[in-house]
Amino acid sequence: MWLFMLPSVAVMALVLLYPFLSALYYSFTDYRLGGGATRFIGLDNYTGLLTEERFWADLLNTLGLVGASVALQLIIGMALALALYGLTRGVRLVSILNFLPHVVTPVVGGIFLKWLFVGRWGLLDATLVSFDIFPPDWLGDPFWARFTVVMADTWKFMPFLMLVLYAGLQSFDTTLLEAAQIDGANWGQRLRYVILPMMKPIILFVVAIRTMDAFRFFDLVYVLTNGGPGTATETITLYTYQIGFRMLEIGRASALGMLTLLIVAVMVAGLIWFMQRRGREAF
Amino acid sequence: MSRSFRNQTLLLAALAAFTIVNLIPILWGLIISLKQPADAFSIPPKLIFEPTLLFHLEVWTERGFLGFLWNSLVIAAGTVFISVPIGTLAAYGLARTRSRHAGQLLFGLLAIRMLPQILLALPFFVMARFLSMVDTYTMMILAMVAVNQPFTIWLMRSFFVDVPVELDEAAMIDGCNRWQAFWHAVLPAVRPGLAVTSLFSMLLAYNEFLFALILTGKNTKTLPVAISEYGGEDISYWSISAAGAIGIMLPAVIFTLLVQRHLIRGLTFGAVKG
Repeated sequence: MWLFMLPSVAVMALVLLYPFLSALYYSFTDYRLGGGATRFIGLDNYTGLLTEERFWADLLNTLGLVGASVALQLIIGMALALALYGLTRGVRLVSILNFLPHVVTPVVGGIFLKWLFVGRWGLLDATLVSFDIFPPDWLGDPFWARFTVVMADTWKFMPFLMLVLYAGLQSFDTTLLEAAQIDGANWGQRLRYVILPMMKPIILFVVAIRTMDAFRFFDLVYVLTNGGPGTATETITLYTYQIGFRMLEIGRASALGMLTLLIVAVMVAGLIWFMQRRGREAF
Repeated sequence: MSRSFRNQTLLLAALAAFTIVNLIPILWGLIISLKQPADAFSIPPKLIFEPTLLFHLEVWTERGFLGFLWNSLVIAAGTVFISVPIGTLAAYGLARTRSRHAGQLLFGLLAIRMLPQILLALPFFVMARFLSMVDTYTMMILAMVAVNQPFTIWLMRSFFVDVPVELDEAAMIDGCNRWQAFWHAVLPAVRPGLAVTSLFSMLLAYNEFLFALILTGKNTKTLPVAISEYGGEDISYWSISAAGAIGIMLPAVIFTLLVQRHLIRGLTFGAVKG
């Protein structure tokens, strides 16, 4: 049996393990492309980042963007999943059409959204202005830029939650729901006491997946705001990109990447712990 | 009867309205790509105009997007040809092993998903510079294999698990060894899974931006990098980049139609079977 795994393990050792270990090593050095000799500097990169204001601001940004957009996606996705569940005809067409934003190449999605939000000529501004409403600066004002990024992320990933939650709804035993209906539970009560408790494992599952993904969140922000104005929408990943590929400070960027990994691992471990405490039916 | 009919109609109407709003960004892009620049920048936005395919033609022929498409396809195909065969073998091994470590291995593969891509991108960039392999297909394909491999194994494993072990056992009673049982009995049974996994790996590679941004150059530039350079701000390029954006989107739409029955399984690493 292990022979079947050998080729894959060999390839992963080359393209995953080796790069990961190199990054770990770089993170303890002052390695800089095109710079002088590389020195081993221990934990200096890490302590440097942890005492830096920009790191904490970016971490806060990332958590805020992730939190807001995951919450929004969950609410809209759940509402849509329930609507699809109640629909008797046309489910496939409606779900496929609403799924499109998720398969569109992320960069392309970002550009589509930019044509909505960009000042003056964008669809939003052009429409608002023709109703004599003065639009906010969607991409240039710190508050509205964050709002726009949250909307963009929601547009892109809500379809994913919609489909997975709908699949979850479909896999349930409907006798419980019917029993509740016979007992006279109204729609709100059925949602609160039957559907949501049954959905808990799958909700936590999608939240865990989205949390992991959100820390890799790069394409959309890169195209929409590139972290601006200033660093108002700069996420940890964008900052790592700046350090690593603009300033070419590979050592420091690797340390930031390692910190990101640590944060994600802690958050996901927390979620898993939460799930196991809430009953073992999860996963 | 009539009440439930009315409820259904209301529900469908609400969903239709939401769907239209949800698709506005894409529809707006489509409209820009078909408009003459004079019509594109009018306030209020013009909805009635004379469509033109001029920009679609221009972006693919004169702006070199056919070349970028070729690069994207070479990289996506190369990734699938390496990642799917070895991933399928490993998935079969993991699906059939009785070892206690199989669960840990699977969890480890899932943990790789936690790896921030940028952390992997840094050593790949260094390697590419060191080996003078920036702007080569090979480097980009290797990076895509790294990103795809855990996903491929998980997804394929979920298809192998669906095949009853009795199939392997029957083949082995008939005189096949492990390898022959896999090749002649089990693999044909997961052919649809193989197709779905290949399509998903292909889409992942086709859509990839971060790695393409740092590892490709003027000889291997992929479509997402090319379109990102047009941005969305400079209005003189709007029509042309909208045409490009719509064109890049089409394979993704076709992909969705092809795998629609397996979308959920693919999106969740095979954890949820839709």
